[in-house]
Amino acid sequence: MRRRSPWLWAAAIVAYAFLYVPLLIVVVYSFNDSRLNAEWVGFTLDWYRTLAHDEQMLRAAGNSLVIGIVASGVSTVLGTMAGLAMHRYRLRLLPILIFAPIAIPEILTGVSLLIFFVLLNFTLGLVSVALAHIAFCIGFVAIVVRARLAGMDETLTEAARDCGASPANAFRYVTLPLIMPGVIAGALMAFTLSIDDFVITFFTAGAGTVTLPLAIYSMIKIAVTPEVNAVSTLLMLLTLLLIIAAARLSPSLFRSQGDH
Amino acid sequence: MTARLVAAAFAALFAFAAPAHARDELHLYNWNNYIAPETVKRFESVCQCDVVQTYYSDNEELLAKLAAGATGYDVLVPTSNAVQALIRGGQLKPLDKTAIPNIRNIDPAYLNTPFDPGNQYSVPYAMSTTILGYNDVKMKELGLPTDTWAVIFEPKYLEKVKGRVTVLDSANELFAAALKYLGYSANDVDPKHWDAAAAVIRKAKPYWAAFNASSYIKELTVGNIWLVHGYSNDIFQANQDAQAAGRPFHILQGVPKEGAVLAVDNMVIHKNAPRPDLALKFINFMLDGRNSAELTNLIGSGNPNMDAMKYIKPALLELPAVFPPPALKAKLEQLKDLTIAQRRLRNKLWTEIKASK
Repeated sequence: MRRRSPWLWAAAIVAYAFLYVPLLIVVVYSFNDSRLNAEWVGFTLDWYRTLAHDEQMLRAAGNSLVIGIVASGVSTVLGTMAGLAMHRYRLRLLPILIFAPIAIPEILTGVSLLIFFVLLNFTLGLVSVALAHIAFCIGFVAIVVRARLAGMDETLTEAARDCGASPANAFRYVTLPLIMPGVIAGALMAFTLSIDDFVITFFTAGAGTVTLPLAIYSMIKIAVTPEVNAVSTLLMLLTLLLIIAAARLSPSLFRSQGDH
Repeated sequence: MTARLVAAAFAALFAFAAPAHARDELHLYNWNNYIAPETVKRFESVCQCDVVQTYYSDNEELLAKLAAGATGYDVLVPTSNAVQALIRGGQLKPLDKTAIPNIRNIDPAYLNTPFDPGNQYSVPYAMSTTILGYNDVKMKELGLPTDTWAVIFEPKYLEKVKGRVTVLDSANELFAAALKYLGYSANDVDPKHWDAAAAVIRKAKPYWAAFNASSYIKELTVGNIWLVHGYSNDIFQANQDAQAAGRPFHILQGVPKEGAVLAVDNMVIHKNAPRPDLALKFINFMLDGRNSAELTNLIGSGNPNMDAMKYIKPALLELPAVFPPPALKAKLEQLKDLTIAQRRLRNKLWTEIKASK
């Protein structure tokens, strides 16, 4: 291994500190024994206890999770199909249709979806939020999957077909395993986008539908208590577990290209 | 197979979204932490229903969402100028006064305002005033007055507290304070008076630590900031936190003798309310003195309900912002919406203020 310059190390440390220190502060202050959270007072688990009894906050977290799982699941399936179609066929319209929702400002998407749901007389609630999230997540999944397909050796699928595999089997046993890291990365991305979306959720959520970002945002006017830190810490833990699970399922996901 | 998976996902979502609700529901679209939990419980047992709350953090959020056509809400709690906008937009249902006899508990001073003449659509819920908040020990030490806007605008006072003062990061609130200080109405729209107010603000700006609308509660409590232009509920909160943390000072409310801005939040019923019957029941319930008092005891909000006085904690009764004394009440003004041209002018002045050194 070559020796790396100390400057490179310094730059790396500063960059990682910038990424992770704020998160660490959130975690540390979730154990702070002060409602205000302005300074460190002492260690306590009270905020986790408060959280365990706060039905509204728990329901909001539950809603966010359910919406996140459904939205990432459905948009991964649809996004993967879109990615495949764009890779295989020279389509003009499809890429525009798929990628436009990514470029459109969120506030426009939110308002137009709300108007659309109202026109259809569709009751606003968890389902409308999930549909909206699926709509904006598909494009992100499709991009990741298509990028993965671009790096795939096309002859492998052809070889499978030559050996007598049906198109479905060739996809299932050859193409899908090869693009799996892309699919999982897309799913994770969709989950993250869904779970922290505020603007689109605000407009498409109905009376009584509260997600975590909506609940936290509405607390900004009154002081935000460490309970929010506690719930954020738990969410971070969950995300971490998801990433570890994904890495286990598909070890190549987190390996750089050179290692293949 | 994919189609079946997608269908299954949605079936699960619907099942989660629509649990079997045997009980009636009242949908309340409210500010966060703006009703005491025990009040909700009591109403639920009285009406044999569940109260489902959704929150907004800004009147504009509420207006935007309703303007786009969102429905499903029974009772909303907008501030007076937003009530006026909702009435103009045809979003509200007139109140059946015979169903809310408790309206007689409301102080007539807060009824029949220009925002909703005759209270056809709205009844006051709770209020806050924009006043001074200060560290009692420091202000006494420095010998500064706490009953006049001069203390945040006059350099001769500000010199002593330079860097220890914050004002709200809100053009409308700050202009209102400056206009009041100059002896004009908070709703004065004469451009010459606005220029004078802008000059007052610009002269004082170098002495202020920040324009701050969110973390000043914390700064007051910790003792970094000694004097603020802020909302009465926040100042109350800051003092509660300071006492809980055992600080050697109090955060007190200072009411400027020139007058101040009053913000009244009102209960209204949405035109498409699924349960207008429950909505009226809820409004009448909240107009009961005991229920109204519980909110004030919780967050120190101003209370327009005369019947609530006997249920309010004695320490709170002394706060001028909870039940403004008559002399002060006469000098409180609710802010009216500006016209587009006026808003443009104010934004221009505000930008100049923010950019000046």
